[in-house]
Amino acid sequence: MAEFLQALTQGLLIGSTYGLLALGMGLVYGVSGVVNFAHGDFIALGMFMCLALYSALSLDPYVSIIITVPVMMGIGALVYRYLLRPMVGYKFLMIVQLTLGLSLVLQNGILMVFGGQPARTPSAVESKLWILGEVVMRVPHVIAFVVSFALAIGLYVMLRSTDFGRSIRAVHQNAHAASLMGIDVGRVQVLTFALGIGILAIAAALLLPGTPIQPTMGLRYTVITLLVVVLGGMTNFVGIMLGGLVIGISEAFGTIYLSDILGMLLPYGIFVLIMLFRPQGLTWGAAR
Amino acid sequence: MLEIEHLVTGYGGVPVLQDVSLTLAAGEIVGLLGANNAGKTTLINSLSGVYAPMSGRILFEGADVTALTPRERVELGIVQVPEGRLVFPDMSVRENLLLGGINRRARPGRARQMEHVLELFPRMKERLSQDAGTLSGGEQQMLAIGRALMAEARILMLDEPSLGLSPLFVQYIFGIIDKLHAEGLTILLVEQNLNLTLRHAQRCYVLERGRVAIEGPADAIKNDPRTRSAYLGL
Ligand SMILES: Nc1ncnc2c1ncn2[C@@H]1O[C@H](COP(=O)(O)OP(=O)(O)OP(=O)(O)O)[C@@H](O)[C@H]1O
Ligand SMILES: [Mg+2]
Repeated sequence: MAEFLQALTQGLLIGSTYGLLALGMGLVYGVSGVVNFAHGDFIALGMFMCLALYSALSLDPYVSIIITVPVMMGIGALVYRYLLRPMVGYKFLMIVQLTLGLSLVLQNGILMVFGGQPARTPSAVESKLWILGEVVMRVPHVIAFVVSFALAIGLYVMLRSTDFGRSIRAVHQNAHAASLMGIDVGRVQVLTFALGIGILAIAAALLLPGTPIQPTMGLRYTVITLLVVVLGGMTNFVGIMLGGLVIGISEAFGTIYLSDILGMLLPYGIFVLIMLFRPQGLTWGAAR
Repeated sequence: MLEIEHLVTGYGGVPVLQDVSLTLAAGEIVGLLGANNAGKTTLINSLSGVYAPMSGRILFEGADVTALTPRERVELGIVQVPEGRLVFPDMSVRENLLLGGINRRARPGRARQMEHVLELFPRMKERLSQDAGTLSGGEQQMLAIGRALMAEARILMLDEPSLGLSPLFVQYIFGIIDKLHAEGLTILLVEQNLNLTLRHAQRCYVLERGRVAIEGPADAIKNDPRTRSAYLGL
């Protein structure tokens, strides 16, 4: 029973961050039809930027986001404006190839600057634990959970009740009609992509404490994010957060109850199972 | 107020509108008639800046707006109610109206303008929090017009507002159009419905395969034998 609660808690904590990662991807997909296969590599980039800031200024990753978020948003805006935008509206496959290429560029760029050895970025709270009855929680996980949900709620409120949020939803629902309202569709797409990358910069700091980092680690996050987004029905807000929790929990159960390799496969197994029975994802037509 | 001079617009280098010239005086209600595929929607979208013309000019109050983006044109008050209404289906009536007034010029006065629009369409007031996708066709047309008015339109371009509506709704919508005209709004009314348009417009243009075939006061168009042939594409 203790083990079960432990797995469930750990899964929920990490799953919230997976949900957040996927929200970024879902938003971008919703307004521009771009599925970014370099998603995870931007997380890796964010983590290595935290490493650099620690080495240079001994900044804690949680503090580094003050710098990494605006820098990564800027990079995101440039990447969308000059790399992706010229391709949007053409074949989906071209976008896939382009973002896969971007993934390789990011990986090798990181490799060139930081080398290939696994590295660690220390944080003040890294080894702190929080014990609740029989359940042991790592403080970084708790922080990740709280911040992820706070950001998700913030995003939701932004989408519902600000002009920018309504513009994002309008472009998603009908880009032509949105432009007839005087909404600059291209600008909304750039800003949304930048926002998505900015979220990744925060997620990078949340996932960093205790995680050994290496240049090729991004692929794993890309795959997890894709699973969550598809589970969530691509653009459904609540569905995506739920998908994050499902994947996080199955990952935690896999690692606690099964052997290493088998445990890592569990999320994919669960994913395939859910898709067999609910190909439309976990959605039921809620909030867009 | 609006002048179109020798406009040529097309898709992928193939012209659809060929040398179209058209004027619209302030406060006027002008009909733009034409059969299927004549190029009416292409013309409206050119005026909204969705497509860059291949040649020709568009003047608004004497200023050349040919190179302006859709957003800049909405900010000037050149606003269309698109064919097929294109309301945002998964947003409430209220959110649709707010989006209508999202442009920089209209935003400050949105609350006041919303009241005005809801006075014009009491039915929308009852359905403020309902998703637009669940409205009937006629209600969606009301919403689409209301949404355009939220932009503080100075020229309202309506693309086939009668399309797919029951006769009762058509009557209602054209009543609204007359009312807006009486309030002084400049209106470009695109229709396939000949008799309906001739009854409500002061002047008309008949578009035939991308060219202006006939133009003149509504009465003259009505009695012009060429009108029917342009319509039937003979
Ligand atoms: N996006 C587009 N790409 C390519 N061709 C187009 C496009 N839109 C319209 N056309 C072509 O341009 C011509 C004029 O179309 P348009 O929609 O302007 O006609 P219309 O007068 O509005 O017709 P309807 O009464 O059916 O609405 C048609 O031959 C159409 O096939
Ligand atoms: Mg048309």
